[in-house]
Amino acid sequence: MNRRAFLAAGSAAGVAALAGCGSLESRAIDIPPVLDDRPDAVYVPGHVEGMDMVGMGTVGDYAVALSYSYPHRFWTVTGDERERTSIEDADAVHLMATVWDRKSGMVLPDVGVAVEITQDGSLVAEETIYAMLSQPMGVHHGANFAGLDEGDYEVAVRVGATTSRPTGAFVGRFDEPATATFDFTFDRSEMREIRFDRLDRGGERDALEAMSMENVPTGTAPAADELPGGTVTATAGDVRYVATVLEPPAGVDSVGSYLAVSPRTRYNGYHLSRMGLAVTLDRDGESIAEAELTRTIDPELGYHYGTTVPDGGNGEVSIAVDTPPQVARHEGYETAFFDVPTATLSV
Amino acid sequence: MEARAGYDRREFLKAAVAAGGVAALSACLDITDDPVPTGVDDPTTLPERQHAWNDRVRTDEYGNVKLPRHQSLLYLNLDHEGTPTETDREVVRDALRTLDRAYERSNEGLLHSIAYSPSYFERFDASLPEEIDLPPPRRLSPFEEPKFDTQDALLHLASDRADVILAAEAALNGERERVNGITVDAPLTDAMSIADRRSGFVGSGMPAERQDVGGIPDGNPVPEASPLFMGFEAGFRGNQATEDYVTIGEGAFAGGTTKHVSRLRQRLADWYGEQDFEQRVAELFSPAHAADGLVEGVGENLGSDSGLTPEMIENVREHAREFGRVGHAQKAARANRDDEGNVRLLRRHVESTDGDVAALHFPSLQRGISAFEEVREAMNGTDLTDEPAIRQRVNNGILEYIFTTHRGNFLVPPRRHRILPPSRPE
Repeated sequence: MNRRAFLAAGSAAGVAALAGCGSLESRAIDIPPVLDDRPDAVYVPGHVEGMDMVGMGTVGDYAVALSYSYPHRFWTVTGDERERTSIEDADAVHLMATVWDRKSGMVLPDVGVAVEITQDGSLVAEETIYAMLSQPMGVHHGANFAGLDEGDYEVAVRVGATTSRPTGAFVGRFDEPATATFDFTFDRSEMREIRFDRLDRGGERDALEAMSMENVPTGTAPAADELPGGTVTATAGDVRYVATVLEPPAGVDSVGSYLAVSPRTRYNGYHLSRMGLAVTLDRDGESIAEAELTRTIDPELGYHYGTTVPDGGNGEVSIAVDTPPQVARHEGYETAFFDVPTATLSV
Repeated sequence: MEARAGYDRREFLKAAVAAGGVAALSACLDITDDPVPTGVDDPTTLPERQHAWNDRVRTDEYGNVKLPRHQSLLYLNLDHEGTPTETDREVVRDALRTLDRAYERSNEGLLHSIAYSPSYFERFDASLPEEIDLPPPRRLSPFEEPKFDTQDALLHLASDRADVILAAEAALNGERERVNGITVDAPLTDAMSIADRRSGFVGSGMPAERQDVGGIPDGNPVPEASPLFMGFEAGFRGNQATEDYVTIGEGAFAGGTTKHVSRLRQRLADWYGEQDFEQRVAELFSPAHAADGLVEGVGENLGSDSGLTPEMIENVREHAREFGRVGHAQKAARANRDDEGNVRLLRRHVESTDGDVAALHFPSLQRGISAFEEVREAMNGTDLTDEPAIRQRVNNGILEYIFTTHRGNFLVPPRRHRILPPSRPE
């Protein structure tokens, strides 16, 4: 018997065992279809899934939490294109890793994350997982994993250096990879205890509330009045911008003032990461600066997009979205943040 | 291991070379009776460059080198601390000469080369000559955490015959007293122990036959014609350095080269499951290759080079913007050309299913290890991740699917210094 035949036989036995339990059929067929009248905006999905914590640990500069839930469908985004990743029959779990700065508690959306799963030292699965946005889970990395039978596993979450520019007290940090390792017991009956509810209000222009996850942050952006400088706000589609002008933080090696733009999701206020943002600054009706903003992490400013601008006086800033957030979307976010209109604010 | 009637011979040899060992070998020999060409009486008549393999192996109609189909990497440690003794040297000399005498130096016989690590040279008081660019292995991307191979030496065996690899190994470790009609004077293991053995293979048909392993999704996605698991040809003549180019030109080790060997796990579920053919072409070659339909099938239409143009290499950032993806080949090529346009690395990668996991053994030859490190840095594409679609590993060539588990650096000395050389040979 070859390896695959062996695995297939194993899973056939698993199905038989499950069938004997009556109502415990495969979870995949329980999931309601994607709403066919969903808006091109943030919306409440037709169902909500909870999650269960596997563990939390600190390694290097990072704190890492690993959680899991039922396999999810999600949508990856490349440029303006969205591509659905459906649940495959073999998918056993959806694993989610949240990575944050162990000192400030700030979620780090631009680290690359890979997950390696072993059992008794043998490799079971290894994947590069995707930066994701979920209404209940916020900013995290995740993917579905296939080929896990019930049992004990070791899960290594490999965090790469950040690809966003660290400024302020973050300068010199997050430039090394690190691995956090967790023990994970996969038990289908325990997974079935995880919340799974259909929602009557599916399709509404709203978002599910962030889950309370003990000490795991969800990537909520700081409120406007928590940011330094004189903040201003603007709305464009489901993007909420908070902008501020201040002295350039350490790690920004230009002269002038620093413009920081912090886009976040409508309703939950999650950081919107991996966007391409461009600004023009007008003063007295005259365009005096144009720039593509740099993805930046800063303990004071949070995850933001920044550039230096000439000093002197007030002005009008126009913010255009050149590239929508390049993060995979859980249901309810997959149609949002595309075709965002240009926003204008006075700074 | 038993050769059963009706059991396909190739199936059997494939299992045997992966398993290794004398049991595998004896079974092998029972079912393989073609004679193997013998070697030379006087090994000093062999070429000075241990790494000169290209004129000893097959080439295809376009002049692309076809590496021997079966390979083995033996990582060796000297049995004691300190510098090697004359006895150690006699053992190693005899062991390698036995192979030279037993087998023709070709794909039909056996190609081999021995190389030494920076850790090995630390046994000597004097450092390596200044012109030798051989740092210890290190992390070469912002996301990998490989194990470093710091064994003393690496003996690389290559042949189109699986039974030759197995017999040579048996001679080296003392399990055989004669090999291809030649008496084994002393097994290598009298002086060095085998710390690790890694097996490899390459060539059309072989990955497809072996795709029932971890890392390759169900449904036999690897095309029959592909020499590699990712489904495409590689190592085109026009994209490889020449052996002349990678050879150290002067100093005590003139005629040698440096060798970086990494092992990369391949996890191709998303490669074959989420990406279609065009996306795979875009990520392996360049988005222009995909847009212009430059690659057919496994790339058999490409001929003697990958079709990468200077424009494609230069326009990698524009591709990132326009297509949301960049290609592995176009990124790496940015650092893999010298000022005159010569390719700097000679890559000799082979596939592996050791431990029933799909992996790549990636030996690369270059004048100095820095050249490899620079190409790897270009391949990381970290400079392109300011384009939002290009992430650390996603949409960034093939980084999403490969996981570096090991890195090691070695000096392949010229033949005159291949026997446990001092750091400053006379």
